[in-house]
Amino acid sequence: MDEGGVAGFYRTIRMIFQQIFDAINLGIVILDRDLKVQGWNRWMEVHSGIPVNDIINTDIFNSFPHLNNSKFIRSCKSVFTFGNFCFFSQKLHHYLFPFKTTSYSDFRFDYMQQSCAMGPLRNDNNEITNLFIYVQDMTEVAVYEHKLVEMNMRDGLTGIYNRRFLETKLKEEFNRHKRYGGVFSIIMFDIDFFKKVNDTYGHQCGDFILKSISSRVATLIRNVDFMARYGGEEFCCLLPETGIQAATAVAERFRSAIEHQENNFDGNLIKVTISLGVAEFKVEMESPHSLIKKTDEALYRAKREGRNRISVMEWEETVHP
Amino acid sequence: MIKKILIVDDSPIARKMLKSCLPKDQGFEFEEACNGQEGFEKYKSISPDLTFMDLTMPVMTGYEAIEEIIKYDKNALIIVVTADVQLKAIKTVLDSGAYMVLRKPLKKEDLQVALLKAQDTLQQVE
Amino acid sequence: MMETHEEQIFTSEELEILQEIMNIAFGKSAADLADVIDTHVVLNVPFIDIMQVTDLPSYILNYVKDYRNISIVEQNFWGRFKGDALLVFSSGSGKELITMLQHGENTSLESDPIEILERETLMEVGNIIIGACVGKLAELLKDVVTYTPPMIILERFYNDAISENHFDPDKTAIVLKTDFSFTEGNVSGFLFLITSNDSIQWMKEALRVFIAQYE
Repeated sequence: MDEGGVAGFYRTIRMIFQQIFDAINLGIVILDRDLKVQGWNRWMEVHSGIPVNDIINTDIFNSFPHLNNSKFIRSCKSVFTFGNFCFFSQKLHHYLFPFKTTSYSDFRFDYMQQSCAMGPLRNDNNEITNLFIYVQDMTEVAVYEHKLVEMNMRDGLTGIYNRRFLETKLKEEFNRHKRYGGVFSIIMFDIDFFKKVNDTYGHQCGDFILKSISSRVATLIRNVDFMARYGGEEFCCLLPETGIQAATAVAERFRSAIEHQENNFDGNLIKVTISLGVAEFKVEMESPHSLIKKTDEALYRAKREGRNRISVMEWEETVHP
Repeated sequence: MIKKILIVDDSPIARKMLKSCLPKDQGFEFEEACNGQEGFEKYKSISPDLTFMDLTMPVMTGYEAIEEIIKYDKNALIIVVTADVQLKAIKTVLDSGAYMVLRKPLKKEDLQVALLKAQDTLQQVE
Repeated sequence: MMETHEEQIFTSEELEILQEIMNIAFGKSAADLADVIDTHVVLNVPFIDIMQVTDLPSYILNYVKDYRNISIVEQNFWGRFKGDALLVFSSGSGKELITMLQHGENTSLESDPIEILERETLMEVGNIIIGACVGKLAELLKDVVTYTPPMIILERFYNDAISENHFDPDKTAIVLKTDFSFTEGNVSGFLFLITSNDSIQWMKEALRVFIAQYE
């Protein structure tokens, strides 16, 4: 190849790389040893709103002062000294560059979630003269991950927690109180004559009632309480730092609210009642299961004594001589 | 004049590399030792004009050998040749009387500069 | 057995050269590490061992068996010099490093669970130590390597952490081993660089070129 041919060949290659640099769906930043910006691709322009001409040859910390932290500086030093790669995962760092999110979702992050990496760029003599940073938008992946975690915790029909999640929480609370003492209570309730609702109005109506009741009760609990669908028409609430008397008062609010609630299903006004059992943690209890059993017994008693009422667990205080 | 040179390093390759960096036309006589203990013994028996000393060696380290040699001959000229370039190591050997520290991998130019300096120092002492 | 492998793969002179290059590379790494992570790292004299890949797990176990738990940072490096870097940290290293590296800096990470923080910190430090050692070694052998992102196994018992089928059994492993400790904080461990048949021809040539400068 003659000289012009070689030069022409490299010119073409350069043009191709420049186009890829700007077309790629990835942010690319090039910094020199003084951490001044030497490259800023179209993606970075679009998401940061900073045109390449405004940022080129300026200190990266001028535009992004929060990068002036020990981890970022350590990473740059390490790339320039050792020529290795440094990684900034979305899980820990969430983002390097604070950009607005672009993806639509019911769960919103404040900023675009990014997975970034940094590596060396060398000259003809193999000396590291610059470093590159690439920025990958991970927001959608992070949203899916959040949804998956949520799905694992929640009941599909009512959207409140599921039994598995409640049992995990209950175990945590139980073990903590076993060790450090303190009080907490649980309320179990179920819908009276629920089978009749299903038989009369159909299963769709049954589902509607389940949703309607769970969302009504959800308005009556505190942020720190957990409410879960425990079985078919059975619900369970975990009330941290709550003694039996306060828990019973809460249960009464549930009972009264549901008794007075009119559920409008396809023009049918349906009223239902609930029966409730209340129990509190006792340090003598062996396992979370013992507490659930006490609550279940109370609920059963409420049913037997005529429904639409509350029953409190029976507990004989052990007297220590 | 520097004539007799003692090289103390446990690695034969490292000793060979060092010798290859020294000028061939000055009629140096070399003696080698492969640990600090042997280095000290040889120092006593041949009284070299210049000693090259590695630091990490079995039996007796370079640090200890330097102390022994300086105790025996306070004018000993010892050039430490080491891969350990941390300031702490450098400070330690200079404090115990080493003449200077050269870093591995050795460069011919560095070694020749060192040799000239050592030559001057030796003449002043004499 | 091990003797014969060594004979076949490297001559004793080649082994000596490799040993000296490793001394130089790791000495330089330790000094640069002190600069980058702002703490003094002691890297001890490295050793070279050659064995069948299937013997690796028990070989590594022999070094780390005194640790209650271990955390491993693993990275592949790619160049003409290629292989697997395993950095094995002693128990509790992750938590120690978090305290050492943060220097009371208030980051936005406070809400993150300690386990994620521990994992990321070990990965960051592991990535830097591996990069330093492999990078310097490659540099002396006139090679440039790239790395895969680090993978991490956090605070496990040894047997759960390294399995027999972790490595390709048909290969011969050239293991470059060193142990390290931080002068500040209670952090220590071992670095194993495992390279195989694929790199041997190149390595022999690179060693020859290196020593030719001194002949």
